[in-house]
Amino acid sequence: MDELLADFVAETREMLEQSGSELVAWEADPSDKGRIDTIFRFVHTVKGNCGFFDFPRLEKLSHAAEDALAECRAGRREPDSALVTAVLAVIDRISEMTDCIEAGEDFPGSGDDDLIAALEPGAEVVVQSDLEVSEEDDAGRSEKENGDSAAAKSPRQTVQRSIRLPVDLLDEVMKGVSDMVLARNDLARRLREAGEQPTIDGPFERLSAILADVRTSITRMRMQRLEHLFSSLPRLVRDLSNELGKQVMVDFEGGEVELDREMIEMVRDPLTHIIRNAIDHGIETPATRLKANKREIGLLKFAARQSGNQISLVITDDGGGINLDKLTAKAISAGLYSKSEIEKMSEKQKQNLIFEPGLSTAEAVSSVSGRGVGMDVVRANIERVGGSIEVSSKPGEGTSFHLQLPLTLSIIAALTVGSGNQHYAIPRSYVEEIVFGNSSHVEFAQAGDRRLVTFRDKRVPCLSLGEVLGTETGKECIWEEKTLILVRLASDDVFALAVDRVFDHEDVVVKPIAPAIMDTRLYAGTTLLDDGRPMMLIDLPSIAQMRGMTGGVRTKATEVEKDERSERSRAVPVMMFAGLDGRHRAVRLELVRRIDTISVDAIDIEGDRSQAVIDGEILTLAGHDLGPLPEEKIRLLRLSDGDHELVYAVREVLDAADITDDVVPSEADKSIEGVTLIGGKPIPLLDGHAVFARYRTARKRQQALTCRIPGDSEWAKTILEPLVEAAGYRIAEDDDTEADLAIALAEDGDAPKGEARETIRLRPDPEDAGDDTIYRYDRDGLLAALRRIRTGRAA
Amino acid sequence: MNELLLMCTIAGRRAAIHAVQVQSVIEIENITPIPGTPDFILGLTALRSQALTVIDCSLALGLDMACESAEQRAAVVEIEGHLYALLVEEAHDVGEAHSAPVEVPGGFGDGWQRAARGMVETDGGPTLLVDIEQLVSGGLREAA
Repeated sequence: MDELLADFVAETREMLEQSGSELVAWEADPSDKGRIDTIFRFVHTVKGNCGFFDFPRLEKLSHAAEDALAECRAGRREPDSALVTAVLAVIDRISEMTDCIEAGEDFPGSGDDDLIAALEPGAEVVVQSDLEVSEEDDAGRSEKENGDSAAAKSPRQTVQRSIRLPVDLLDEVMKGVSDMVLARNDLARRLREAGEQPTIDGPFERLSAILADVRTSITRMRMQRLEHLFSSLPRLVRDLSNELGKQVMVDFEGGEVELDREMIEMVRDPLTHIIRNAIDHGIETPATRLKANKREIGLLKFAARQSGNQISLVITDDGGGINLDKLTAKAISAGLYSKSEIEKMSEKQKQNLIFEPGLSTAEAVSSVSGRGVGMDVVRANIERVGGSIEVSSKPGEGTSFHLQLPLTLSIIAALTVGSGNQHYAIPRSYVEEIVFGNSSHVEFAQAGDRRLVTFRDKRVPCLSLGEVLGTETGKECIWEEKTLILVRLASDDVFALAVDRVFDHEDVVVKPIAPAIMDTRLYAGTTLLDDGRPMMLIDLPSIAQMRGMTGGVRTKATEVEKDERSERSRAVPVMMFAGLDGRHRAVRLELVRRIDTISVDAIDIEGDRSQAVIDGEILTLAGHDLGPLPEEKIRLLRLSDGDHELVYAVREVLDAADITDDVVPSEADKSIEGVTLIGGKPIPLLDGHAVFARYRTARKRQQALTCRIPGDSEWAKTILEPLVEAAGYRIAEDDDTEADLAIALAEDGDAPKGEARETIRLRPDPEDAGDDTIYRYDRDGLLAALRRIRTGRAA
Repeated sequence: MNELLLMCTIAGRRAAIHAVQVQSVIEIENITPIPGTPDFILGLTALRSQALTVIDCSLALGLDMACESAEQRAAVVEIEGHLYALLVEEAHDVGEAHSAPVEVPGGFGDGWQRAARGMVETDGGPTLLVDIEQLVSGGLREAA
């Protein structure tokens, strides 16, 4: 088809679209001169354009319509409903012929003369158009009497100051801008590396800002107002309601909202289907409506809003609502669900049945809807463009469909994640929540080979992205180290996707991928990172389907019985970490002041003395004796007892958790308060007291009092020595001339070798012997004595 | 008849691609692998702001050995709106075909037979003309 002809078709189409709502408004009030003008202009333009091409039939039709309308404009003829119907029939025919011209076919059939004859004043209405514009019935007349119908109020179309551009050209410009953004990023990186250069940085900033603006404008160039979509709807509603003997008026809101033009085309069909359903099933006949105390004219309302990069479109009718009894009965008879399954469903789940394939509530299959291709197709189409659809309905009051659509087909909000050293993007609209696998709220379970995760009292199936993509096997997967993304599909199925890391939220420009990659059904597209590297966009619905994660109502997350015991017990917040030996431990969160990361060079360990330098401050280091220090950087928990600080070396800080179970004290390990269950695993809880006691004294070694203990007693070495040390004493060596204190065992009779200013004698039996000795396991008594002597000395 | 061909080496053999189909010859720096794809798809590489699907010609032919290329040269072609980088062992000059592609009695051997449109005479001797649509679709792999 040559270019001129393409323009003709495009222009005619555009005008047809614009005049659609004018026609309905004119029909409501045939005497409205303004509307006649618009329609007259349309047929006049068509006629004029036909002169350039050889379309005699088209010319004849538009000429006849123009004549009739010209009579009206001149006031020689009163427009009536018969004329309106006849003109509508002519315009329909023009539309059909335009389609044929575009397809390069000859328009079949005849009947043009009949159409033209119908335009004559007083002509009998015998018009046959494909849309069955029959004689105006009572419905039509009453619509006219209700002159306040929405269509009549709709604003008149204004002439747009615009030009037509091929979309290819726009794409090319957009690609160019994307290239510029990448080049800018590259330049920015180099500038950063080169250091600050005020003479260059200023202009560069400006360039960046301008580029951002241009990018936004280019994106907007592809946008179209929703009015374009809306303007064709009144005509559709009118024709449908006439056919079905119902009266419907339409109301629009938010026609100024802009949407990518491709997206508009994608939702046109689903929208048409929803409208058909609403008029066919939703809105009752005028008689039924009057009986139900409603206005006899039904209302179909379209409201669009933009929120962020999403458009929400709500289509509401004030009809009878979804008949759930009928719907569920149908679902049972169609064998989709058993009766008991239906009984378990919530109201909402029952309403969602209308999206199930193979269901239609229309009692009789009409030509308009109820042919089996139903809302399931609508939902599939909307999901395909990254949108979602929901339904809500009240019996007797009406039904609403809520559509969520992305602004464009090509830009989506995504979550970037890492799996097997690679970045991937996941459409954010599916992501419900992100949780860490090692969090205390998460529990893993296994049923057969299927991993399950329990989170917030819901048990959901779990997939590992690495396993899905084939980069790791399920066996090597360490679930606790993964980050879980809870994915909610539009069908309300929930599953957890385990990834190595979650990086960021980003708006990504999605580009199509080669068919051979598409065949894997794992990816929906590709996008480029800021540094120009490609990143794949994961196709979640497809993966869910392949892995059997979708299954309608049946695989909904199962509620797990709440564990009441855990609710009763008090929760102590702790921080989980992995020590240098790799074992997981916990420390009370109140003790942790902050987390430092320093270079290993800043750590100095010599014998018993271990210190770390942080910001010019020397702090005692603990925890370093558990395992080898890492190569470069080391993470340190800075613990504080209120007065003093020390740092505790860890390999990794894991997560915050709550202790809800009891802490079981451990006699064997004095560095811990005890062991508790966190997330079902035993975790040692670091004894802050012990840590401070041990390392603070070590720092004050010079001033520490010395204590002599029996050197030949195993008990003294293993039990007594740590206790005495914890109390702030240094164990005296044999060559220390005079100790501050000596501890003697009563049964030994004599004091340990060497001098001591004070002596504490310990007896082996609990009974008080009255000889000023302390029972050897009387911890409190012993500590009190040690304290007394120490404070006495210090004073 | 004197069609222009891009001469290259695939799996040690002389091969040629219609030069009109080739947008440019690039040296691939980084390839982002795509897990889950057939092995002849090496991954994606970025050319300015576009992502190219990198195809290992040798593996795509159904031959067992991967393409060993020091320079990672690849011919950029566009097929059905998608851009591909066809990784070859060596990419030579553009040359003229002196004859129409012809079949050779006995065929060209496994893999080659399915990918080749025929043998053409060039300045450098007989060369196999490769059907790139076959190459990128992976149809050869499945058949192999």
